[in-house]
Amino acid sequence: MAIREPTPVSSSLQTRLELYRTMYLIRRAEEILMAEYHPADQMRCPMHFCVGQEAMPSALARVIRPNDILMSHYRSHGYYLAKGAPLDAMVAEFYGKKTGANLGIAGSMELASHDHHFYSGAIVGGSLFMPFGGAFAQKYRGVDDISVSVIGDGVFDEGITYEIFNLAALHRLPLLIICENNKYAAHTPIEKRQAVAKLAERAQAFGIPFEKHDGNDPVLLLETLERVVPEIRAGKGPRCIEIATYRFCGHVGPGEDEDMGYRSAEELKQWKMRDPVAALRHQLAESMEQRQLEQLESSIDAQVHSAIAAAKRAEWADFNDIVDMNWSGEYASIVEFKSRDVSTFKGSQSEALPGPF
Amino acid sequence: MYRPSKAVNPKHYRGRSDMLSPEVKTSEEIGRSSQLSFAQSINAALRQALELDPGVFVCGIGADTPAGIFGTTKGLVDRFGSKRVFDTPIAEAGLTALAAGAANAGLRPVIIHQRLDFMLYSVDQVVNWMAPWRFMSGGRAKMPVTIRAIIGKGWGQGPQHTKSLHTWFAHVPGLQVVMPASPSDAKGLLLSSIMSDDPTLFIEGRSLFSMQEDVPDAPYFIRLGEALVRRAGKDVTLVSMGSMVPIALQAADALSKANIDAEVVDVRCLMPLDIASILTSVKKTGRLVVAEPGWRMYGAAAEIIATVVETLGEMRSRPRRVAWPQSAVPTSSKLEEQFYPTSDDIVAACRASVTES
Repeated sequence: MAIREPTPVSSSLQTRLELYRTMYLIRRAEEILMAEYHPADQMRCPMHFCVGQEAMPSALARVIRPNDILMSHYRSHGYYLAKGAPLDAMVAEFYGKKTGANLGIAGSMELASHDHHFYSGAIVGGSLFMPFGGAFAQKYRGVDDISVSVIGDGVFDEGITYEIFNLAALHRLPLLIICENNKYAAHTPIEKRQAVAKLAERAQAFGIPFEKHDGNDPVLLLETLERVVPEIRAGKGPRCIEIATYRFCGHVGPGEDEDMGYRSAEELKQWKMRDPVAALRHQLAESMEQRQLEQLESSIDAQVHSAIAAAKRAEWADFNDIVDMNWSGEYASIVEFKSRDVSTFKGSQSEALPGPF
Repeated sequence: MYRPSKAVNPKHYRGRSDMLSPEVKTSEEIGRSSQLSFAQSINAALRQALELDPGVFVCGIGADTPAGIFGTTKGLVDRFGSKRVFDTPIAEAGLTALAAGAANAGLRPVIIHQRLDFMLYSVDQVVNWMAPWRFMSGGRAKMPVTIRAIIGKGWGQGPQHTKSLHTWFAHVPGLQVVMPASPSDAKGLLLSSIMSDDPTLFIEGRSLFSMQEDVPDAPYFIRLGEALVRRAGKDVTLVSMGSMVPIALQAADALSKANIDAEVVDVRCLMPLDIASILTSVKKTGRLVVAEPGWRMYGAAAEIIATVVETLGEMRSRPRRVAWPQSAVPTSSKLEEQFYPTSDDIVAACRASVTES
């Protein structure tokens, strides 16, 4: 999709409808998958659902280009769909089938679609430093593609984060860092982890300008991205956007972690009253016919159900093919192997142990 | 007498049994050559890789300084500019992340650690991200990163400048580990490592850097996973790698004076490992000694001996290994002398192997 002109989007019904389409797809994919997840137990991998955090991926979907790189933390399903990667391949990946985006090898936690330059990973930090390297390659080539890193507040506890902030600013790389601050790293609240619970300010200390926004307002987020992303494309260096958002589900799985004691039922209730999908639907319902919205929604529901049915029918990948995938054994096309032993080194030369430095 | 417990599955070794007979090479094929040191050969390989592929870049702490990392990067920045040859902060993890992300985006990074010990900050990037990247992608992705890591030895390098953790990395599916022993191999193997589509750890013994050999001027490639018989013999197979190879050749010279004819096999790569060439040699001699520049327990020698014993029906004597004591390396020059195995130790192991049967 092409980058949109920075028009006053908040007034455009069409734009809000497009945002809603993506948000609804993400929300319903998660809800329907959650219902299938247990007790059927046919998707046998840890899944981190992003219910409640749909606004940013939906806004990003409107400004990101096919050649841009996007890498998300393990709560990745929304960003995968935002990058335009196919729903069917995502669902089949969770079922571990050959038709999965990664042949069932990656599952939910390392979900990727290399054709769409979308990646994710289980280990905290990777979703910052892999797109950072991608941004280096984009600047090296002199193209105006950008790399987008989506991180959580937990990344700010890792040491690698500060090496990357420094290197990204030093090389003025086309890197957009989106920090989804949902207040918890797994089951630990931010106040228990950080003496000074400030996130984006730390990026600024390394020379990366930042801003902070309400993460549940898709129109505001789209306006922000439409302002910031062209500056990154123009070579003005990395930027950081921190958003306040909240996951309705627990850290992993479809539950709400209500028995884990790290967050209150009242807090969850407060955030659910600010449900970004429900809020946008309410806005749209004022300007559109109910029937139109319902048509859109039922067509998306049908897509998700059809993806699940297809995944259940699909075949498994062959184990022998899979184990061969660890190495490519391939070389650049210029390589020609002529001779096995160029070396004439048969003699016994003495070592040169280093002297004083 | 040793009997196999189970046949070796050659797939696990990625050795090149079809390449076992050395091709005869003509002087035309090699072309002009020059006497170069090991360090100069590394420099020549980097220069030619930078010429051959605009996606190759070289970075590391001190990469663009006049000293040029023991001369190995000397002059490269003058020739190719600071975009392609550059210094980095003391941020090994960040530097490795840059390489991983850039390689995924299609470049061919070469990163340099003046001591292998320093790269341990980057184990997450190497082991968790680069190594399984292709696998996780379902065979779609490439990860053409070359990591040059230099091992110190002598003049008080001590416990934190001398580690050779080749077996750590050879253990991990997805990585390649190359250990050149001569100047011409250093050039051909480094060019192949850089042009390989798989992540490669290229381990250089600092003690080899001043050794000289006739090295072809033109770029050439040595296929990774092909051992080289550096000295033919019939009495005992002496397998070695990296900085231990010249010492093994000295031992073979000494043994010949005692009418013991050792066949010296330089494995050149630990992964992929050319187990077929080792087996061919041991089938001929019936005896095996492995000399490894690293710690004894769980080492490459242990792996090679185990595989040979598992595979061959009978051997004429017990296999033996010569390796470092299971101790950190002392700094004191007197203690250091006692730490490193010498050609006398290899001679003793080979003599014992021959006199046993």
